[in-house]
Amino acid sequence: MHDGAQESIAIERVKAGDAQAYDALVTHYLPRVVAIARSVVRNTDDAEDLAQEAFVKAYQSIGRFRSGEPFGPWIYRIVTNLALDVVKHRTRFRHEAVTESEPTARRDRADLPARTNEIARRIDSALETLPEMQRVVARLHLVEQFEHDEIAAMTALTEGTVRSHLSLARKKLKEKLADLYGDVDE
Amino acid sequence: MSEDRFFERLRNDAAPLRYEPEPFAMTRLSARIRERIETPPTIAGLLAAWFRPLGAALAAVALAATIGITVANNRAEEVAVGNAYSSTNVDVSVAGDSYRVAD
Repeated sequence: MHDGAQESIAIERVKAGDAQAYDALVTHYLPRVVAIARSVVRNTDDAEDLAQEAFVKAYQSIGRFRSGEPFGPWIYRIVTNLALDVVKHRTRFRHEAVTESEPTARRDRADLPARTNEIARRIDSALETLPEMQRVVARLHLVEQFEHDEIAAMTALTEGTVRSHLSLARKKLKEKLADLYGDVDE
Repeated sequence: MSEDRFFERLRNDAAPLRYEPEPFAMTRLSARIRERIETPPTIAGLLAAWFRPLGAALAAVALAATIGITVANNRAEEVAVGNAYSSTNVDVSVAGDSYRVAD
């Protein structure tokens, strides 16, 4: 469903009560929605659950969706909010649970595909050391290849703030990965 | 190499970290979403949906009433204390003579 007109028609049909018309929207946006959730929560299983919740939530509130607007930014925003809530809850829980035997971040990384090479693993580890919003923004930009304006729309940050997060992340990543990117000239 | 070139290289090298959707997982997820949106709501769900806003409204009214009563009580106490002060006369004795000091 790359055609905006087709998408608008599908949304109008869903608004009129045709649940099957929602399938086309789900099929088109699901991979990106899971990718966004995974960038935030760092776990594919949780990301898939969040994607499911986001689509159900969007369906239930489709009446409030403004006709003619693209569906993508809306569903991306919903899933980002849900995922950030999960991360906040996890952070709180981690502070309370003092006897955690294995850090959650390490478990989350265990589901990286086997083909992930060493450099990618180093980048992944470096990204994990960033503060929360820098990490989320950097992952969305560097790993999932979203543009600044898209990240701003889904995180409710201004484009300037997104650039600022990226700039700070860039500085830290350069330090962390100096041995890999030592040939980088300023 | 400029800062953008650095990010460009990072983006290329981070490609293996990118989420690659598995067709089976996508099909399974789509089916779950379809099932959830097509399942008619249960009576319990409908009742919950009706009573949730009602409960929230009642809670707001109770909170407003509690705050109102507390504020009214505080004001009444302040007035009572003020009256107590104003109605208290003090007897003072100076050189054998008694004086009553009123407000």
